[in-house]
Amino acid sequence: MLRRLTAILIIVALAVWPQPEAAGSSARSSSAAAAEQGTATVPLVIVVNRSNPVNELSQAELRKIFLGSRSHWANGRRITLVMRDPSDLERKTILRDVCGMNEDQFKNHFLHGLFTGEILVSPKILSTPAGVRKFIFNVPGAIGYLRISDLDDSIKVVRIDELLPEDKGYKLHVLSQAGN
Amino acid sequence: MRLSRQIVRRSIGRIVLMSCLIVLLGSTLRAQQASDGQVVDKATLQLLMARIDQLEARVRQLEAERQRSITENGLAPNTAASLPESAAATPVPESTTSQTTAAAMSPPSNAQEPEQNQFENAMSDRMDISKTLLRIRGFGDISLHGDTRKGDTTSFSLGQLDLFVTSDVSDRFKFIGEIVFEAGASNYYGVTSGSANTFGVDVERYLLQYSHNDYFNISAGRVHTAIGYYNTAYHHSTWLQTTTGRPFLFDFEDHGGILPIHTVGVSASGFIPSGRLGLHYVAEVGNGRASRTPLVEEPVQNEIDDQNHKALNFAAFARPEAIPGLQAGFSVYRNVLAPANAPKVGETILAGHAVLIRPRYEWLNEALLDRHAVAGTSRVFNTPGFYSQVSKQFGDYRPYLRYQYVNVARNEPVFPDVALRHGPSVGLRFDASESVALKLQYDYTFLRSQACVSALNLQIGFTF
Repeated sequence: MLRRLTAILIIVALAVWPQPEAAGSSARSSSAAAAEQGTATVPLVIVVNRSNPVNELSQAELRKIFLGSRSHWANGRRITLVMRDPSDLERKTILRDVCGMNEDQFKNHFLHGLFTGEILVSPKILSTPAGVRKFIFNVPGAIGYLRISDLDDSIKVVRIDELLPEDKGYKLHVLSQAGN
Repeated sequence: MRLSRQIVRRSIGRIVLMSCLIVLLGSTLRAQQASDGQVVDKATLQLLMARIDQLEARVRQLEAERQRSITENGLAPNTAASLPESAAATPVPESTTSQTTAAAMSPPSNAQEPEQNQFENAMSDRMDISKTLLRIRGFGDISLHGDTRKGDTTSFSLGQLDLFVTSDVSDRFKFIGEIVFEAGASNYYGVTSGSANTFGVDVERYLLQYSHNDYFNISAGRVHTAIGYYNTAYHHSTWLQTTTGRPFLFDFEDHGGILPIHTVGVSASGFIPSGRLGLHYVAEVGNGRASRTPLVEEPVQNEIDDQNHKALNFAAFARPEAIPGLQAGFSVYRNVLAPANAPKVGETILAGHAVLIRPRYEWLNEALLDRHAVAGTSRVFNTPGFYSQVSKQFGDYRPYLRYQYVNVARNEPVFPDVALRHGPSVGLRFDASESVALKLQYDYTFLRSQACVSALNLQIGFTF
């Protein structure tokens, strides 16, 4: 009986064995799909406080930061994650292309992480690009994202996988406002 | 008119003074920050920014009033515009409370309003000592349960009402608590105490956590022992779990569980520098569980350890970047139990796990061996156990299957009542909303020397 049940369990497990859900793979496809549909996109840039010594992050590091599994910068300062409102396109882009999750999954992930103590703080929610800029300017450990058109000199852009937003192959793009 | 101008000038003078003060303070703070990043914390900066926001709003308000006054008093607009920009500043009196300041500010009708309100709230919360900085999240469940065990009745049951409390004590210290209201009698190693249908309160977690960096976090208090995966992943919330309950391998002590689920002591955890392998460690030292058998009191030694020997636990696990959602690891727990009027029992618990958690898939596998060696004799009792659980999400539905097994020797000295039990569970979870889950689960359990038990459980789990 035990053997039979184990066999059933293995068969079921194999049947539902997941295909890899590589975060970031959808970024290319979404950009490509947008291009195919003739929809304009603009780069979404990752920004930090100017005093932050970090200039570059890999996609994997970015995912860890946005999922709260990495909570400190290399200099020991605590990471404060800045997110936009759930309705914002920029947030949806980050969730899809960096976290590989939808809104509900992201919320559950943070709730679970806070519950276990693995995640120290939940993200700071700000509703405007100006608010994001101001917050990141004032909080040394903050990290967030903005459309490239919302950038100014008060904050610093971080390279992702060695690429700047204007470089070819940069993965994070969001539909332009006109396309909304 | 002259009086009005004087008022405006006085107001402007105050704003100038306050602006200078703020600029001076701001530059001082930034200088401090550059020289010593630890001096000024985020909260302070936020407070200052909130203050600046308030003052900016006040400036705008006064400028508008001035403009109105000028218009009403017939002053030429260009006269007002020729006033120096810096003259348009009036300080907000320090004695003004945050509430009245906020009310007087008349929020600017621009897009920054929500952020401004957040800063104001943060400041008022921080400065108002009559308010707490507690955050509370609740979890609960209600079940309809029936089984074929002799004497059991089909019943509606209130599950644990779990209040999860957190508070950022400071930038690096955090409090975590879990207060559980629970109905029903307790069952410690087969000994029932208390009475059914009455509620009791348990403080299930109670810890202060210090986070130094990603490589070193330390907690003191009552924690869930880092044995295996399940125990530290789901704690007391059924809503977070796919199934209606824990595997019986990880049952709580007061539900007849065999493991030291809770420990009072100190726990350190963090990353191990290992690149893409993503290694983590957990090291714990604590009171362990009580030694007395039979045991009719709380087995978690919250206040007094019954011996000087301390329980030790070490766990390590990997979360490789190459396979998102995979976690594999092991733990080793060591304690010595000293039952009254009986030889000491050395307890070693070896556990291993491999779990794959992705938004749409879940596959949990854990196995452990609980080894009890009676001191001064060659008697060793090994209790093996495992479970495997798999589920897949289809829209709002998540069917799942679990098989679990635990085998306790007949003459096991610590928990002889558990015996052999194993069997499958199948169920379906339906997420009725983002905070409410309806679960239907069927369990079939084989028992040593007893009739098999079929059980059906309909549960609604929720968070609030």
